[in-house]
Amino acid sequence: MFLRHIKAKHLFLLPAVLILLSFSIFPLIASLVLSFSSFSLAQVEQRLTFVGLANYTKLFTDARFLFSLKNTFMYVFLGAGLQYVLGLFLAMLIYEETIANRAYRVIFLIPMMLTPVAISYTWRMMFHETYGPVNHILSLLGIPGVPWLSSIKVALLSVMLVDAWQWTPFVMLALLAGRMSISREYYDAAGVDGASKLQTFAYITFPILIPVSLTVILIRSIEIAKIVDIIYVMTGGGPGISTESLTMYGYITGLKRFNLGYASALAYTLLVIIMVFGFLFLRLRGRLE
Amino acid sequence: MTKRIIRMLPYIVLIIWFLIVVFPLFWTVVTSFKSPIDVFRGPKYMPFIDFKPSLKAWNNMFVRDRQQILVPLINSIIIVSTSTFLAVAIGAMASYSLSRFTFKLGRFSNKDLAFWIISQRFIPPIAIIIPVLIMFRVLRLLDTRLGMIIVYTAFNLPFVIWLMRDYFDSVPQDIEEAAMVDGCSRLATFVRIVLPLAFPGLIVSFLFSFVMAWNEFFFALILTFQKAQTIPLLIAGQSTQRGVEWWNISAMAIITILPALIITLILQRRLVSGLTLGAIK
Repeated sequence: MFLRHIKAKHLFLLPAVLILLSFSIFPLIASLVLSFSSFSLAQVEQRLTFVGLANYTKLFTDARFLFSLKNTFMYVFLGAGLQYVLGLFLAMLIYEETIANRAYRVIFLIPMMLTPVAISYTWRMMFHETYGPVNHILSLLGIPGVPWLSSIKVALLSVMLVDAWQWTPFVMLALLAGRMSISREYYDAAGVDGASKLQTFAYITFPILIPVSLTVILIRSIEIAKIVDIIYVMTGGGPGISTESLTMYGYITGLKRFNLGYASALAYTLLVIIMVFGFLFLRLRGRLE
Repeated sequence: MTKRIIRMLPYIVLIIWFLIVVFPLFWTVVTSFKSPIDVFRGPKYMPFIDFKPSLKAWNNMFVRDRQQILVPLINSIIIVSTSTFLAVAIGAMASYSLSRFTFKLGRFSNKDLAFWIISQRFIPPIAIIIPVLIMFRVLRLLDTRLGMIIVYTAFNLPFVIWLMRDYFDSVPQDIEEAAMVDGCSRLATFVRIVLPLAFPGLIVSFLFSFVMAWNEFFFALILTFQKAQTIPLLIAGQSTQRGVEWWNISAMAIITILPALIITLILQRRLVSGLTLGAIK
């Protein structure tokens, strides 16, 4: 009986662990090795040569890398911030159980389920300067047209807006669940004390939602740090390299120019940034709880 | 007056956000019924009023470019449904094991194991894709459906395991114990008793994983070229082939997002409760 118990327990878990090991630990180790070596598929002679930290030192003098790093940070900070504020606002508007709110929840949920590449095309049409509806509608409101995708300054913002369109629902959902799980008693007590709506939000709702908020911001930040599909379709990294993210640049160096060692070093830098970021966030959350 | 505006503000915001969500979808549908000239004449909104609807794009889709679209579509259906099924089966087993047994590996316990599994989702694909590419080249899995099935199974596993744990935790253990006392093996108990009880969770995991794999782009971009190409790749490649033909792309986009849209509407509240349950923890 005891032996059978042990066997079942491990057998149930084994397939999943094997798959995850072969798609994470093994490739991560291989990537790490690659990142310290020079290996190019473009050369006639394909040979792995150990180059020490050369890839990494080259990385930090590579202006294009630093620029894509900056872009990635912009996407993460502005994007996660915008998505959080919007998501929180929407969640606070539709938490009550009414028929209309249920309908809103389902409709608001739709963008996050749709294929990013398809949606990116839709937005590329929407943002088109001459025959897109966005600028047309703005002009009807008396607002001058915006060069959404052709201006170096605006294109990054446009990509970020599309990501926000798609993923604000996720933030909204998590905060909605958080809001719905808060006991009514708090609000009854606040009502007796004559607290205004804004006060109730600031002193009851928001503090209780902080742990959920941190989790959801962390999840979104990590996901945005990996951004690539929207950029690939909407701008191709352009105009110039103004919207290029780390993953996009990694893709170009590794899989267009076949500079595998250098691309691995770049990818590892991204991985380390995400890990440090995640670790700090979890520490912060742990301290608050 | 100002007070009234403030009171109306929530409704105004809701309506605006509603329009922001729905309008792009409306625009895609409308564009798919435009002839080229109506696309390039500036924004035309209402079929029959602003422009004469045309079935050109849909005709291209189902007649002219049928072969070109059919292959990725079939690939996507086969790859995504098989990998989702595998991810749910393998994931449910692992998740059950994590929910019922205690694991100890030095300092690490179940909680650490579960955390390790969910943290897989946070690894940027670019950090693992190059070794996977090399591995696939050696194993001759590049540009094959089998290769993509394996990748997407791995891709969805963490999510399934993480989601199913809540469902298994909520299935009472006495029923299982009773079944095992009656001589049922672990596996039989799992298949005949636990799985049916956790069925709602299986459905949510299946449908959500299906959508995630259906939408996936980056792995497919690197690991497939032609034979095993999926739908997102077909779409992404549109702007380079014949210039941007918005009417065709719109029709294609509709076909691409349709499964996810239908799944969202079927799942509705299940999705809201199922996904948020995990998010708070």
